[in-house]
Amino acid sequence: MSKPLDILTGRLLLALTLVGVLLAVGISKVSAQSADAELQAIEKDLNTLGTRITRLQDLTDVEILQDTYGYFVDKAQWHGLADLWTKDGTLEIGGKGVFLGKDRVFEYMHVGLGPIGPRDGLLIDHQQFQCLPTIHDDGVTAEQRCIAFVMSSGGWGHNYYENDYVKENGVWKFKVLHGPFNMYSNYKEGWIDHVIVNTFPEKFPPWPDLPPTVIYLTYPSYYVEPFHYPNPVTGKPMPTPSPRAGGMAFGK
Amino acid sequence: MTFPLRGFSVSLGILCMALAGTASAQSDAARVATLKTRLATLARETTQVEDITRIQRLGRAFGYYTDKGFFGEAADLFTDDATFQWGNDGVYKGKARIKELLTRQGGGSMKEVAGLPFGRLNLRMQLQPVVTVADDGKTAHARWREWGLLGQYKEAISWGDAIMEDDYLKDNGVWKIAARHYYQNFVSPYSDGGWARLKPASSLVSKVGQEFPADAKADAFPMFPLPYVPAYHYAKGKLTAIMSDAPVTAPKRADDKIGKLEALADVKALALSRARSVRAIENLQAMYGYYIDKGQWQLASQLFSKDGSYEFGQSGVYISPAHIEKALGLMGPKGLEAGQLNNYVMVQPIINIDADNRTAKARWRSDVLLARAGKGRWGGGIYENEYVNDNGTWKFSKLHYYVTFWGDYDEGWTAKPIPMDPPNKEFPPDQPPTLVYESFPKTHIVPFHYNNPVTGAPLPGEKE
Repeated sequence: MSKPLDILTGRLLLALTLVGVLLAVGISKVSAQSADAELQAIEKDLNTLGTRITRLQDLTDVEILQDTYGYFVDKAQWHGLADLWTKDGTLEIGGKGVFLGKDRVFEYMHVGLGPIGPRDGLLIDHQQFQCLPTIHDDGVTAEQRCIAFVMSSGGWGHNYYENDYVKENGVWKFKVLHGPFNMYSNYKEGWIDHVIVNTFPEKFPPWPDLPPTVIYLTYPSYYVEPFHYPNPVTGKPMPTPSPRAGGMAFGK
Repeated sequence: MTFPLRGFSVSLGILCMALAGTASAQSDAARVATLKTRLATLARETTQVEDITRIQRLGRAFGYYTDKGFFGEAADLFTDDATFQWGNDGVYKGKARIKELLTRQGGGSMKEVAGLPFGRLNLRMQLQPVVTVADDGKTAHARWREWGLLGQYKEAISWGDAIMEDDYLKDNGVWKIAARHYYQNFVSPYSDGGWARLKPASSLVSKVGQEFPADAKADAFPMFPLPYVPAYHYAKGKLTAIMSDAPVTAPKRADDKIGKLEALADVKALALSRARSVRAIENLQAMYGYYIDKGQWQLASQLFSKDGSYEFGQSGVYISPAHIEKALGLMGPKGLEAGQLNNYVMVQPIINIDADNRTAKARWRSDVLLARAGKGRWGGGIYENEYVNDNGTWKFSKLHYYVTFWGDYDEGWTAKPIPMDPPNKEFPPDQPPTLVYESFPKTHIVPFHYNNPVTGAPLPGEKE
């Protein structure tokens, strides 16, 4: 009596165990599938986060590029400076017009501003202030507004930059340098009098490849270089300034 | 008996194997749960670093608006019920009042859309931020320096100097200025010695403040030439502004699917730590500048590591915070005296964090605005500094300021350059200058700690 029962019990146990194993295998198959999906989701989230972290480094990198440009101008490091451009990048400073390509960037500096290297008795500190970079959603183009505050042998200078950058093979470079002058004055009197007006294409060689993209007057007149970014709070683009700005009738 | 028992033991064996499988699935589940927690932490910390950059952007956008008379746009950077304390004039409340305040102080017109009249200069450069984002990510504080070039063509021109302490609020994902405390230090004439011969003003309230009274009084504070330190938002508690993650050695991860993700998270976490460190060092350098401004030699020296070094111009190298504090004290008495200006403006950062987030190097420019005994002085120079991540807090391991020029205010740096000081005799340095050079009219290239960021070529200094 006991033997068949034992056998039965044994078989029952075996059957139950087998069912259990089958269930376990089944569950682990299902859970393996859902675990894979879970891991894929984590990987995706990590990479999305990675993109945001890369953008943070991009902000630093385009500021490093701009600030390096400033340090190179200080000491007339024209080869190193021109190397910060893409092959077909452009440069436009003050009212001189547009220079096309890296070689012409070098020429503007070398022919226009003077020989390579620092010279005793000549100060050309080209300080970069208040940089406001924007990395675009594509992650390979960027814009930046900066101030150049110049303390030089000639006195004071203040100009804006609204530049475009491009990331080529993981390296940020200048694509468009656009630097409208704002105010230049001597040291002795400052900007109260005898301010230095904007440059123009024929002011000094080399001659530009293209005419100036915009004709404007510097201080004491009024010009605003458009902002590349909308208002960070309202999201609205820059309003057009009053047509009377820069005149004595402004506000009257 | 034996069969079923055998059968039982066989079944038990199979069951055990199945259980073992479940047990390893359990530990996988725990690893995945850990990964998910890490992911959430990383996401929160990424937002915090982004927030620092957004607040910097807000402050800089303010400067670009006021420069060109976009006062309504500038006021739009504030919350609806924001407050703006303008110097000793008092507190203005709400966007509309802030717009009018900025318009009047900047020489604009309430009748016009944006712009400035002929000859008006209103350059208010927004520099040297120290940004602290609160742990909840909803509020933040920042200290800024404003350096102003102001005036009216053919009439009168002046310098402006102010410190700002701001409160920010994140409103529906957008940061806004909730309160600004604008501690004007001086508006000085350009001529007649600039700031150096300013006398204490008979009234601390500006002309605009008299014509356009504030909505509420603010606590009065002394202005230059009297010494005053606007309270630091980071004075109490931990200096979170200069903190990042402590250096870690990435653990060896298992060679399975989860292990690969764990390793990926390690890579992202390190990249984020380095991005956070950039901002911490930016804050550290700015903080140092603010302490030097006010003759707070001890606070400044506490930002150095215990074997940190300090070298200024040709004055030699001082090692350890105690020696550095004493060396900084050679600039003037603790807290400075009336009429002493010691502004060290920190700008143009090139911050490079090492791959393992343990050390960093940075190049900075500093403009210096001084006054001693009724004489003003300009200075300009370059810092090439080194930093160490001391268990999550960034400190100076080496601060080296190379003088480009010193110049007399009245004559200018070209007409009257001033040579650098030699090492002090009463408190000589621990080591002689590491590099011998002369400042302007001599020129020299301060060695760059980094290679050309595009070509990767080292920067030895080009010559014709």
